[in-house]
Amino acid sequence: MSTISVTTPKTRRLTLKRRRQLSGVVFALPAIALVVCFIGIPIGQDIYYSFTQWDGQTATWIGLSTWSQAFHNPNLWTALRNNALLLLSVPFALGLPLCIAVLLHQRVAGWRIFRSIYFLPTAISWVVLGLVAERFFAYQGTLNSIIHALGFSHFSTNMLGYQSEALIALGITFIFTMVGTNTMLFLTGLATLDPSLEEAARIDGAGRWRIFRSITLPHLSRFIQLAFVMTVIALFSALFSLIFVMTGGGPGYATTTVEYLIYETGFNQGDYGTAALYGLILFVITGIVGVVQLRLIGSNE
Amino acid sequence: MTTLLTPPAKSEQPSPSLGPVKKPKKVGRWILFAVMMIIAVIMLYPFWVMIITSLKSEAQFLAGTGFSWLSWSSLTSVIPIGQEVLSSTIVCSASILVILLVGLPAGFAFSKLRFRMSTMVFLLIVSAMMVPLQAILMTEFVNMTRLHLTGGYTGAILVYASLGTPFSVFLFTTYFRGVPDELIEAGIVDGLGYFGALWRLVVPIAVPAIATVTVLQFIQIWDDLLVGLFFIQNTSQRPITVGLAVLAAGRTTSIPELMAGSIISALPAMVVYLGFQRYLVKGLTMGIDR
Repeated sequence: MSTISVTTPKTRRLTLKRRRQLSGVVFALPAIALVVCFIGIPIGQDIYYSFTQWDGQTATWIGLSTWSQAFHNPNLWTALRNNALLLLSVPFALGLPLCIAVLLHQRVAGWRIFRSIYFLPTAISWVVLGLVAERFFAYQGTLNSIIHALGFSHFSTNMLGYQSEALIALGITFIFTMVGTNTMLFLTGLATLDPSLEEAARIDGAGRWRIFRSITLPHLSRFIQLAFVMTVIALFSALFSLIFVMTGGGPGYATTTVEYLIYETGFNQGDYGTAALYGLILFVITGIVGVVQLRLIGSNE
Repeated sequence: MTTLLTPPAKSEQPSPSLGPVKKPKKVGRWILFAVMMIIAVIMLYPFWVMIITSLKSEAQFLAGTGFSWLSWSSLTSVIPIGQEVLSSTIVCSASILVILLVGLPAGFAFSKLRFRMSTMVFLLIVSAMMVPLQAILMTEFVNMTRLHLTGGYTGAILVYASLGTPFSVFLFTTYFRGVPDELIEAGIVDGLGYFGALWRLVVPIAVPAIATVTVLQFIQIWDDLLVGLFFIQNTSQRPITVGLAVLAAGRTTSIPELMAGSIISALPAMVVYLGFQRYLVKGLTMGIDR
């Protein structure tokens, strides 16, 4: 940062610097205040209230008993297990968009129209996508129509109605909702790839697969990392709309994830203290993902 | 960084040098085209379902045959769609306005008017991007209720603004680093003052960054459910996503009408999306450095 290049006495220059710094503080203050008041302080409160019995009105300090009760609560473990199982959808939420982006990059006739079509679902609310998915998986929905049209008329599914299958339906919907964003990311990455590299490799006799593995994929690594982190964060913190609309967390707790459990515990059971503790757990999980990402980026540079 | 910041306009030029050097055989080309058509059908499926279903009456939907405008004509009596779209619009525009009014000066400060510990403060604000609302939902809700801000739109606007501010501060700071210091200095020497320099010199250059923040936030806030559901307690001020989700969760509303409402809720975001796709891509890849 260069100093102000006006010929002035030293004292005046100092005050100018002072004034600039002071303006900086004043300009940054509203943003700082907003973030501290509505993000920072609530995190602190989370920590305090996680040691209390809290109904939203009065909080009584009960120390670690909230913690021990929470960790003995099977619902928390179910929610954590559901989140862990949903992680299995992440390879698909990255792999499919990667394939689609590579296809788009081949630039067949009308690829720009295809691109817009593939991105379009990204614009609509997950509330709406959840509504559509609910229709798709319903007993009288599209999935069963397809199954019947394929000739398996004696076989019907009702995925959202069964504990063992509802989570799979949620995972499939999640993959669908992530396809647009991740394809967009990978396509942007591919656009920055120098085509002469591929050409050189081709002249050297490298096959398509070899070129993809040795040139395209390494080039995309940063984009894949970003997509990975965004997908995992979305998995832990953006499924609320889908769950709320599709299953309400059920059947039983079969599709309750940690974020939904916070809502369920706080607003439906009125146990604000435990909900604050669950919030803290979610905060730690996303924090770890964030730190891992920083590490990955750091190791790249 | 610089390569990532270049707009994907590059990819929009049908320059032959960007395409595959050796054109694959014709048959392969057709297979590729067919695969892309299949993917297109899958991606368009939600829109097809919404349109087809909304063009049925409840009875026709249950029977599985026939079409009518009944669900569209009765829509306003089932869902207060006009009010809900208005609420979404108010919350969306007010939140974006706050995000810009707070983010622009902060970005200017963190890039050009650095003060003691400004880097640390900047990093703290940016790290707030990682905090999901659900993690602080309970305490935030109780705080807002105690402050009596959950009656009207104020609470929701404040929550959206504080969630969107970290990203906008990050984007503006990065963007303003590219503005030459001399420009600001010249403005100061001309007696503009720091506020004048920001308003008259920096903001006009920042239009692309402002567009990126606006488009990203618009789609995010317009499509959001959680904030509206908890921080707007007055049911007559519900945004459209909340209206739809609550009706859907109740499972008593006719599905064709819900789908008609869904189409209306999806339209504005789709228009913004198709019109400003470029800015959206830019905003997403900015995140690669966060």
